[in-house]
Amino acid sequence: MLAGLALAASVGPASEPVVTDVRVINETRRVQLLEARLASLQREVEMIEDRRAIERLQQAWGHYISEGMAAQAAALFSDSPAASIEFAQQGVYLGRQRIQAFLAIAARTAPGELRETPVMQPVIHVSADGRSARGRWRAMVLGGQRGQDGRWDEGPFENEYVKENGAWKILHMHWYTTMSGSYDKGWHKEPYPAAGPLRELPPDRPPTMVYESFPGFYLPPYHYLHPVTGKPVAWDDLAAEGAR
Amino acid sequence: MSRHLLQLLAAAACLATAGSSAHAAAPATPDLTARLARIADRIASIDAQATRIEDYNEIRNLQRIYGFYFDEALWDQVVDLFSNDATVEVGPHGVYAGKASIRRYYLGLTGGRVGLQHGELNNQSQLSPVITLAADGQSAKARWRVLVQDGVFKQGSNWGGGVYENEYVKQDGVWKIRRLHFFTRFYSPYKDGWTRTTEALNARYGRSTAKPDRPSSLRYATWPERFVAPMHFAGEGVGVYRLAPANTARAAAAANGQQRTVAQLEAEVRALELKVARLRAVDDIENLQGTYGYYVDMSMADPTAALFADDATLEILQRGVYIGRDRIYEYMRRLGLPSQGRMFTHMLQQPVIHVSSDGSRAWLRGRQFEIFGVHNVQAQWAENTYEHSYTRHEGVWKIQTFNAWHSFYAPYEGGWSEQSNPMNYYPEYPPDLPHSVKYEPYPSIFVAPFHYRNPVSGR
Repeated sequence: MLAGLALAASVGPASEPVVTDVRVINETRRVQLLEARLASLQREVEMIEDRRAIERLQQAWGHYISEGMAAQAAALFSDSPAASIEFAQQGVYLGRQRIQAFLAIAARTAPGELRETPVMQPVIHVSADGRSARGRWRAMVLGGQRGQDGRWDEGPFENEYVKENGAWKILHMHWYTTMSGSYDKGWHKEPYPAAGPLRELPPDRPPTMVYESFPGFYLPPYHYLHPVTGKPVAWDDLAAEGAR
Repeated sequence: MSRHLLQLLAAAACLATAGSSAHAAAPATPDLTARLARIADRIASIDAQATRIEDYNEIRNLQRIYGFYFDEALWDQVVDLFSNDATVEVGPHGVYAGKASIRRYYLGLTGGRVGLQHGELNNQSQLSPVITLAADGQSAKARWRVLVQDGVFKQGSNWGGGVYENEYVKQDGVWKIRRLHFFTRFYSPYKDGWTRTTEALNARYGRSTAKPDRPSSLRYATWPERFVAPMHFAGEGVGVYRLAPANTARAAAAANGQQRTVAQLEAEVRALELKVARLRAVDDIENLQGTYGYYVDMSMADPTAALFADDATLEILQRGVYIGRDRIYEYMRRLGLPSQGRMFTHMLQQPVIHVSSDGSRAWLRGRQFEIFGVHNVQAQWAENTYEHSYTRHEGVWKIQTFNAWHSFYAPYEGGWSEQSNPMNYYPEYPPDLPHSVKYEPYPSIFVAPFHYRNPVSGR
């Protein structure tokens, strides 16, 4: 112990120790370190809270859609003019008013219509400044009209969220169709193409990505890098070849 | 420099730094005292926030644990999850009040038996949580959606759907279910699908032979009539991000007025860092396992295998144990290339995640629901129970042990009550070890081992 102290004393002035041994480090410096660690803990804990707020937001969306509550679903979006929604191959609607108009058609359930929409499998990343976030999710839809053939829909969301005045809102919602199809015949025997643009309410922009759902096969892009390698993930040439 | 002088210098250094020592004789300066008090307040406030997140996680786990016990008709385990004053209400079947009645209710679903009989399937996916903690952190409400796949082999099967609006209470630090209220939406035979369901068919769900204590709290018509089960949350509050209101943190800080030394505060911050790291781990694991599913959907062997630790093990169905990331890569590669006319989905449902007390390991139980098939050729349903573990390597979580316990693989035509395919093997790619447990798929009954004990009773 004495030797260690002697070394500390010999390499610098006593008021500015360069070692981190708490027995020799200056008390003011220790307090500074504590303050810095708490600042970082504060950010971390808020980020974890943010993730839960986003889970509630996205799941509330699923409940509203399942109940045909289009106006309540639209109210979950940001007021920003850049806010957008894009479903399947229906194109992009910009701004809350247009989002609301789109959902009033696309998310309304007629009497005797079912659109049971459980949402699952979140992969969420909150930005370092805690002001925005992205999330991938999966929705499976059990749909159809009473007495008629039922239908399946399945596919991932890639969404963006923004924190406004202490509350999280949806900034961009993009749902990709992986598969839609008949219940009675089976989705593998009678698949339906991904829904196209609404004739009664043309979109503000064409689809950001043109694809064909099952039996087509495509990769809905990931918003995140590989969690272990830190590299972007996309198909290699061989796999891409297979998908064509 | 003489040895004597060195010793003198050392003594001087000791004096100069004495004020910083935990056993300081000299009092801290007024400025420092105020900073220490602020640090103590801050610790209390962050700790209160972290505790609310723990509460949220425990409630989420509790309902999912309930679901996994319910699947297997493990009624003793199910009843343990309720508070003494709890009520259970399912569909139009009345209210069961108190643990004795609740026990009778569940036993009355299965003819008085605990556990499923050969040929019975009772899958109840617990999905879509919206969890709302009360301001005092001692109770909570949550809405969930449930997807039901059940049936009796060779007799028939059903799809079901509905909504929970439940209440939870924290008693002696343990979260319990205080009110379980399921609103049936539809419950319809597989062969006709949900669009041909009727009120009478829907009413079959959750009917027990036990008599309720009182009539239903609310009468409603099920789908195809329009009825929205009352929502405990309102639109405006949905995205509010603070689980703990600001006054909770202030109160926690005020109750913590006692003065602490720097060393004591350092120990408290270390403990808080571990608490927060364990919370962060839950989210990292959920991301990691969700990512696995999204990569496997696309048959991407390389990024999938890279999620595993070097010495990871993989057991899927009864194909044996593959050891090491390279072998796991080869396994994944054999699943084939993505192609036109092929679909392969791996939904991760109902994850129950626990993190070790030192934050270095984690465990997940989950439900893997698969829809896969080839255009115009065939399609199947499949369900597996996941029991995986994870380890942390230089701050990055990886899959350490992966076990998918086979429940069923069944053709789309007819569904799971008509045919359950036998376990298949990879004869051309033998495993490193045989499977760790021998079991048979549905219609046999096999309860995949749980990595956790009952969170309320410890059973």
